[in-house]
Amino acid sequence: MENTYRSHVLVCAGAGCVSSGCQEVADALRREITKHHLDSEIKVTQTGCIGSCDLGPVIVVNPNGTFYQKLKPEDAVRIVEEHLLNGRIVDDLLRRSGNSEVYSSIDEQPFFRLQKKLVLRNCGIIDPGNIDEYIEHGGYGGLGKVLNGMSRQQVIDEIKKSGLRGRGGGGFPTGSKWQFTHDAVGEQKYVLCNADEGDPGAFMDRSLLEGDPHAIIEGMILAGYAIGSDTGYVYVRAEYPLAIERLSLALDQARERGFLGDNILNSNHKFSLDIRIGAGAFVCGEETALMASIEGRRGEPRPRPPFPAISGLWQSPTLLNNVETYANVPLILQLGADEYAKIGTEKSKGTKIFALAGNINNTGLVEVPMGTDLGTIIYDIGGGIRGGRKFKAAQAGGPSGGCIPTQHLNVPMDYDSLIELGAMMGSGGLVVMDENTCMVDLARFFLDFIQDESCGKCTPCRVGTKRMLEILDRIAHGEGKEGDIELLEELGQRIKDSALCGLGQTAPNPVLSTIRHFRAEYEAHIRNKKCPACVCNSMFEAPCAHACPAGTSVPKYISLITQRRFQDAVRIVRDHNPFPAVCGRVCNAPCESKCRRAQVDEPLSVRNLKRYAADVVYLEGTSPRVRTRGVETGKRVAIVGGGPAGLTAAYHLARMGHAPTVYEALPEAGGMLMWGIPGYRLPKDVLRQEIQAIADLGVEIKTNTRVGIDVSFDDLVNTYDAVYLAPGADKSWKLEIPGEDLQGVYDSIQFLRDCSLDKCIAVGDNVAVIGGGNAAIDAARTAKRLGAKNVMVVYRRLRDDMPADPYEIAEAEHEGVEIQFLALPVEIVGENGHVKTLRCQLLELGEFDKSGRRSPKPVTDQIVDLPVDSVISAISQEPDITFISNTDVETKRGKIWSDRVSSMTSCNGIFAGGDAVSGPATVIEAIGAGVRAAQGIDRYLGFSGEIPSDISDISIPAPPEDVDDVVETPRAKMHAIPVDQRTRDAEVELGFSRDDAIAEANRCLRCDATS
Amino acid sequence: MENISLTIDGIQVSVPKGSTILQAAKTAGIGIPTLCYLNGVHAIGACRVCLVEVQGGRGLQASCVYPAADGMVVRTNTARVRSARRAVVELMLSAHRQECTTCGRNLSCELQQISKQLGIQESRFEGVMPKRITDTSSPSVVRDSSKCVLCRRCVTVCQQVQGVGALFPTDRGFECAIVPAMKKDLSDVACVLCGQCISVCPVGALQEKDATSDVWKALSDPKKHVIVQTAPAVRAAIGEEFGLPPGTRVTGKMVSALRALGFDKVFDTDFTADLTIIEEGHELLQRLQTGGTLPMITSCSPGWIKFIEHFYPRLLPHLSTCKSPQQMFGALAKTYYADRIGVSPSDIYVVSIMPCTAKKFECERPEMQSNPSVPDVDAVLTTREAAKMIREMGIDFPSLPDSRFDEPLGISTGAAVIFGATGGVMEAALRTVYEVVTGQTLSNIDLVDVRGLEGVKEATIKVGDLDVKVAVASGLANARKLMEKVDSGEADYHFIEIMCCLGGCLGGGGQPIPTNDDIRKARMQAIYDEDASLEFRKSHDNPAVKALYEDFLITPLGHKSHTLLHTHYTPRSKYPAADGDEMEIDVE
Repeated sequence: MENTYRSHVLVCAGAGCVSSGCQEVADALRREITKHHLDSEIKVTQTGCIGSCDLGPVIVVNPNGTFYQKLKPEDAVRIVEEHLLNGRIVDDLLRRSGNSEVYSSIDEQPFFRLQKKLVLRNCGIIDPGNIDEYIEHGGYGGLGKVLNGMSRQQVIDEIKKSGLRGRGGGGFPTGSKWQFTHDAVGEQKYVLCNADEGDPGAFMDRSLLEGDPHAIIEGMILAGYAIGSDTGYVYVRAEYPLAIERLSLALDQARERGFLGDNILNSNHKFSLDIRIGAGAFVCGEETALMASIEGRRGEPRPRPPFPAISGLWQSPTLLNNVETYANVPLILQLGADEYAKIGTEKSKGTKIFALAGNINNTGLVEVPMGTDLGTIIYDIGGGIRGGRKFKAAQAGGPSGGCIPTQHLNVPMDYDSLIELGAMMGSGGLVVMDENTCMVDLARFFLDFIQDESCGKCTPCRVGTKRMLEILDRIAHGEGKEGDIELLEELGQRIKDSALCGLGQTAPNPVLSTIRHFRAEYEAHIRNKKCPACVCNSMFEAPCAHACPAGTSVPKYISLITQRRFQDAVRIVRDHNPFPAVCGRVCNAPCESKCRRAQVDEPLSVRNLKRYAADVVYLEGTSPRVRTRGVETGKRVAIVGGGPAGLTAAYHLARMGHAPTVYEALPEAGGMLMWGIPGYRLPKDVLRQEIQAIADLGVEIKTNTRVGIDVSFDDLVNTYDAVYLAPGADKSWKLEIPGEDLQGVYDSIQFLRDCSLDKCIAVGDNVAVIGGGNAAIDAARTAKRLGAKNVMVVYRRLRDDMPADPYEIAEAEHEGVEIQFLALPVEIVGENGHVKTLRCQLLELGEFDKSGRRSPKPVTDQIVDLPVDSVISAISQEPDITFISNTDVETKRGKIWSDRVSSMTSCNGIFAGGDAVSGPATVIEAIGAGVRAAQGIDRYLGFSGEIPSDISDISIPAPPEDVDDVVETPRAKMHAIPVDQRTRDAEVELGFSRDDAIAEANRCLRCDATS
Repeated sequence: MENISLTIDGIQVSVPKGSTILQAAKTAGIGIPTLCYLNGVHAIGACRVCLVEVQGGRGLQASCVYPAADGMVVRTNTARVRSARRAVVELMLSAHRQECTTCGRNLSCELQQISKQLGIQESRFEGVMPKRITDTSSPSVVRDSSKCVLCRRCVTVCQQVQGVGALFPTDRGFECAIVPAMKKDLSDVACVLCGQCISVCPVGALQEKDATSDVWKALSDPKKHVIVQTAPAVRAAIGEEFGLPPGTRVTGKMVSALRALGFDKVFDTDFTADLTIIEEGHELLQRLQTGGTLPMITSCSPGWIKFIEHFYPRLLPHLSTCKSPQQMFGALAKTYYADRIGVSPSDIYVVSIMPCTAKKFECERPEMQSNPSVPDVDAVLTTREAAKMIREMGIDFPSLPDSRFDEPLGISTGAAVIFGATGGVMEAALRTVYEVVTGQTLSNIDLVDVRGLEGVKEATIKVGDLDVKVAVASGLANARKLMEKVDSGEADYHFIEIMCCLGGCLGGGGQPIPTNDDIRKARMQAIYDEDASLEFRKSHDNPAVKALYEDFLITPLGHKSHTLLHTHYTPRSKYPAADGDEMEIDVE
């Protein structure tokens, strides 16, 4: 009699868990169970892959589905003693989500809950080495049904009706393929299973063979019956030893039980099935090459027609499907085609298994209904992007596929939708990439793979992919030329048109699709010699330095800080950037987001180190020396706008020996730094000090002079040798809702500017700030400082979507600012001409928008009225460029157009940069724009365009020798003044202590010297 | 046969079912450029030059392999097709070492022609070149991997036509290359040196080992008495090198040209071809009479000899022991002739002009020395090399007057001329054997049963009381079929003629390029016309041969014949030699 167990422990024994040591865990569990005499009560089964490969070894303890992860053999003691004996769940072995939610059962986890496991139904449940378990779960039921009274044609019709399409990549209707092979004339026919899974990152076929081999065997026997074939082969790659082992065992068992051989289940049908092992050529996944390989010839494709259905293996009619396709067949016959066809989309039926890999929290195998949108797979099942970074694209279909960028997160994952996007289903590889992935590098990776794996038979694939790879190599090395992108496109299209087989015809896809969706990234490599993701490391000294729009040599000055050489450190910064103390406070620090230290523990605190060095130097009362060219060129340059872009340009132009004059409309220069950023974040004196240092180089700054009013634009053009337009973007967007003109409604620019001018604003007790950026947070915290009791930031999405610096958000909340998420102001209701109520529509998240965030949509009837005394709108800004409205300077979408490299506008001698060109951006981007403009203007004026560098005398310390032995160390903490001491001008952050600064600087991995 | 109908470039075409688009287009008078395709031999769709657009298809299709189908609509000349073809050829050029002006295939290179045909003036694609591996290890064939365009014609001709399989594609991607087995040197694998790979190579990746400079040097050496012999197939083909149509007989012009080059005597291999017939005929008779190994197989084709040595070493006793006419000539030149003109054999320099690259190997074989350390034949030039020298001399070949071979080694019969065609040796031998055995004059000497391009031919000829069963094969894959029969004991032939190359020597690997079936037929016609035009058409009627026996050899199969005109063979392995080992093997 069969034993009834009270508990069933499923140990995942997929290849992933095997390599992380599941056998030892299973052995330990069995030992402990025996030790406690529980063998008759508790059954341990080693199953196929459960799918969560990065968590292995994992086990599921039934009946409650308790899911333990990342187990070590020693954990067995506690699992047996606590869980199995005493019924207490071992909490610390459970899985935790990104926000520390604890999952005790497998079904609670979105990763498992949101899947629909049909094809994988037995994987992780049954012991693949035991045919009885397969049979108990309904296995060979489809075969029984067929052999007990279905004709061949009925089987084929059933497959046709199910709508099943080939899971190997192309998506050819399986039923039609069976019909062709059935109809083909030939004494001998063959059934082949393509298990030569080779796409980087895809392993669903392996998992099926390892976890449920009988499903494939049953599918193939059924196929043999349907087309009239008595011989089949499974072509498995030699790199899958476990799959081969389990499949061999399953074949033996199936033969023993009479599922294979003569008179299967007492019918007249006979079928023999054997394994053929491939030697690891990727191209042998191509059907004609696969057959050549089985025949013992060089694994090379041949042109089709004739198709295998007519003339395949040994010139006989041959049916070839892949593993996942066959695994669907028993299911269809069991469920019935009608039932099966209810799953999926109109043209793509059933489910699809994806191998989720890359920069995503939950990697592994996931099975979902065809047509599930990409965003759901990535965010809900996959748990989103690692490290809170931004999703950039997903590569679907492996090296033959293409990338799907952010704006297409809503794409239903089915054959036809993916083709439309220039990607493809392929075998189901889904590699997720974040902002730190370089698309040129990605294309290069796949093309390199293909170039290696090309059989070399046809010219386009053999030579063409090589030439494409060479062009990509050149681009990645910063040696790209104008025309390279077009050449890649041309070559790619020609190869697609002309290559002999599917491998070659799809080889250019990763390149073409990355160009299609990320052309600007290619252009950055070619024109600006920039890898925006900071990956292509032959173009830069270190990722942080490359990420800096101003080109600051970050590792150099960090290394000088370790030696207390603060003067030298600041000189390094000022070689490019005249605002070290400012940037040390308010820079968004793109350098930190690319810091490789993050792979060890946390990125370096680059911004705070810069502040430390600058503060030390300024405290000493010195200004580090800055070299000039030492010549006066006599060339005069007018600069419109005294913000960071204009001042940086002026700084470098002065160093180059030109005579810049800055025209500033407001009473003081500094732009947004002066008027937009409150003093508690950036003390005015710090800023003034750095502006003064610029003026000291001979830059004339004319304040209270608005171009277009106080001085005409034409005058500037006629009087100066060059003009640089950097007026910024300080025109707030309108809310465009009723009540916007009421008293007490401010726009954040005007509000913050008035505060900086010390104009007294009575905001009242209740203030609502609309927006989610730094301006909104600045306005909210300022309102708080003006005495408001309740400050509410109204934002239409969620916290993670807010563009404001997370640190600023946290500090605002710390100071008592509240945030209303998922709310959209629809009306400002007033009383006596003054605001009284802010009426908001509550929202919920819907589909993904172009930015890759779920876009909010209204929840019917959900209106919230906020009582307010003031409303500050901080939704966005745009440039005010009326002063050039009657000139030839070209504009695009309300912004000035200028060339990305030279900064020249459409008018000779007139340059532009900063927010007026880019739209609202960061301080460091404005500074970077100023650097580029100075270089462009210098070249225009007939000079070299080189900045007179002043750092050659500074010896850079060598990196410590034992840089490989990095000890995990968290970054130094920034201290802040207590909330009750916070005023409008008191700087919140206190800065590093010397010890902290030096310790922090020592965390630098010195990529500049080691990479 | 069932016909199908399709539309190509708007033209309705009806072709037999099974035709390719390329064939159908030809029927419609539409030319499609091709490169790797070789009519009747090689169609694998690898180069992708012959792309066309098939309505309803996703990509473009290689017309050389794509089956035409009923109702199909094909376009051969759209912008898409043209740009794809152009890109393909540009890519090919970018990976092909372009040394056009100094390449042996300058002006006869198919890549040059296709590039010109497609109007390519630049290659937009550049990058690394394939590794240059120059394999000069073989005495006959030189491979330069950097010129190879991987069309694989050589692979197919070697495997399918010759049944040898000395060349294979290896490695993947851009590293893919055509190499001898295990990436060995050609001399270390079972290559028979037939040169058919050279003949089909569209570019200069495969060429013969050039001997012209050695010959120039000998010609300018006043101490050397330089004589030349020309094989029968050369006279039927060398005109092609000078723009004359295939099949033009240029025997007299060739003799004039060689004389103009400065050879002291211009002789004819046909002379020793007649001699071969006498010796071989008597050997056959002797085997028939004494129960020797039968069937006896001809031994005048050195590619064939190397083939049997590699692949059927156990069948070597079936080979006639006769040297080839080239080597019989060399042996006599350095003994009989040297004696007659009173010149030391070491001062005589014997040059052969052969349709064959394997002859370069044959003359180097150690058993081919009648005098110690002196080769019987000093240099072998292919037909192409001879033409090259004639061009270099500035000779206007087509305008040359005819002249005659020198005596006595230039006197020959029609029986010798037909050595150049498959079945010729058989026919010549039977003409003689018949008359020797029966003592009667053969009334109809044209044995048409053994003529023609068919791969394997059989015939039975009544010679006296005996029905002599003969078989003739050309092309080594055909030879293989016969050898399998012989090996299994199934063959009841008495005499087999085997020529290494399809069609016999007229289709040799040293002949003008291209060589195809039409050209083979034309050359064959020229050879039989030459036979018919001659005064003597049976070897035993050759007066010079008769004199040779009277003065020198005394009797067929005699002692002198044995030392000078007969040889032995070397069993070899079909597997590549391990490093440092010879390929020779022991046979039980």
